[in-house]
Amino acid sequence: MSIFAPVLLILALLRTPLFAIIAASAMLGFYSEEIDLAVVSIEIYRLAEMPILLAIPLFTFAGYLLGESQASTRLVNLTHHLLGWMPGGLAIVAIFSCAMFTAFTGASGVTIIALGALLYPALKQAGYNENFNLGLLTSSGSLGLLFAPSLPLILFGVVAQQMDLDQPVGIDQLFLAGIFPGLLMLIMLSIYSMMQPRHVVEKKGFDVKKALAALSAAKWEIPLPILVLGGIYGGYFAVSEAAAVTALYVLVVEVLVMREITIRQLPEIMRDSMVLVGGIMIIIGASLASTNYMIDAEIPTRLFELIQQHIDDKLTFLILLNLFLLALGMMLDIFSAIVIIVPIILPIAVGYGIHPVHLGIIFLANMQLGYFTPPVGMNLFIASYRFEKPVMTLYRATIPFFVILLVSVLIITYWPTLSLYLITP
Amino acid sequence: MRILVKTIHRTEDALLVVLLSSMIALASTQILLRILFDYGLIWADPLLRVMVLWLGLTGAMVASRHNKHIHIDVLTRFFSKNLYLFVQTFVGQFTAWVCILIAWNGARWVQMDYVDEMTSLGGVPSWMLEIIIPISFAVIGIRYLLFSIRWGSLCYRRFRLHASRAK
Repeated sequence: MSIFAPVLLILALLRTPLFAIIAASAMLGFYSEEIDLAVVSIEIYRLAEMPILLAIPLFTFAGYLLGESQASTRLVNLTHHLLGWMPGGLAIVAIFSCAMFTAFTGASGVTIIALGALLYPALKQAGYNENFNLGLLTSSGSLGLLFAPSLPLILFGVVAQQMDLDQPVGIDQLFLAGIFPGLLMLIMLSIYSMMQPRHVVEKKGFDVKKALAALSAAKWEIPLPILVLGGIYGGYFAVSEAAAVTALYVLVVEVLVMREITIRQLPEIMRDSMVLVGGIMIIIGASLASTNYMIDAEIPTRLFELIQQHIDDKLTFLILLNLFLLALGMMLDIFSAIVIIVPIILPIAVGYGIHPVHLGIIFLANMQLGYFTPPVGMNLFIASYRFEKPVMTLYRATIPFFVILLVSVLIITYWPTLSLYLITP
Repeated sequence: MRILVKTIHRTEDALLVVLLSSMIALASTQILLRILFDYGLIWADPLLRVMVLWLGLTGAMVASRHNKHIHIDVLTRFFSKNLYLFVQTFVGQFTAWVCILIAWNGARWVQMDYVDEMTSLGGVPSWMLEIIIPISFAVIGIRYLLFSIRWGSLCYRRFRLHASRAK
């Protein structure tokens, strides 16, 4: 195993599909222990034994449907009339709509594509600095990852539940834990936006009529968050059931009520969304085999003992964790990072007395930065394509936003109560 | 050959659409039955879980059509076209053989369950539920094998062209 690890690492860096790397490492592990390799398929079959996984395809499909419909326009319109009157109003509109949209569509870059087209010209017209607009929209593309029902939150829960921890990690707990840290990010960005100088100063009051019109236009989408969160915390349904209800609701609303998506378009939307789901599920499947091998080989325990010899306090560990996760976020996309790294890191963090739910929030908050950290943050390239700007311009434009969000990540890391307040009785 | 590829694509697409639609319908029915009549179909939940497996692996097959599996793009982004194709030829081989190995061993397992007449979900032969694992990995493996051949020959042709220009 140890001889092959560097080879696998190099292959991974050379663009080998990650599921193949994980599966290969699992097979090498089993082979060296002389276990029949049929066990890999048996482990993959465990995908059919985890009820929560149902949430992944259903929420993803609902998100893709929303992305294809005009929901983004209505959302921007609504927030515009509700928040637009504030100083820095339009920027705040951008921040809040992006966060809402990303929570449902799962930070796949669709936020920049769908909302960027609306917000970029609007911000420009409102007299904001070009670099500010680009930076804001690029960094907002991953904002909202911490809000339910974002796919990364669910995936973290799925992986953590496989770990057999003393403190079980519920996905409903993660949904609650993300609220305040997510709001912290939104508020900090909003304050920065309020301080921005503008070339054109236009005073606009709160227009009740327009606000009501926007509310009425979005009347079908507004119940969505209530349906998801209310349904789960009201005890009406489990997370995977909430996903089914959401998918059905969005399907009925966008296809039958609003008629923005035709039935003919559905197979294609289904296929596109399931390509992402397939990519994630095959990695989970492969890692079910390799995680087992890692746990059997007591790799996390040994790593913990090794690290403990050098770091003996929680604070130092957290600092190193932040650095490590930031570097990780630059290289790995969020889904594979969760599946590959969480099984190793979670037991170690718990060993240092960190609450597993808090670790989840730390992990995702760090990964969120990775989306627009040079050189390979995915959203930089999506924004570069969408706004037709060189990537270098976007590197520079996102710096202030990176700094602000980094500060918020540090607050989230060193102030556990912020994440845990809603889940500790 | 082209017809075969088209048929496979159509089958995958159809499978995705049927699975996803029936999952939404089945899961919603289940919730409705519970809330209205406090009643549930016993077979629905295990069936839904198996459908998730099928849906996930079918999605993975579709993702492999255009090499859309999740990967790390740190180094290759900066490679020249030739170096990229050269490296990808080997990467394709590696991925292909990992998949084929899983498919082969998976097929043995499915066959064992077939011979032993194992059942699950209250009477359905297990092999019918498990068969998607070897099938999907075989399909993905073959696709990467073909990718590798295409990348390799493309790389070779570019190299030849380059050499003849140098002369």
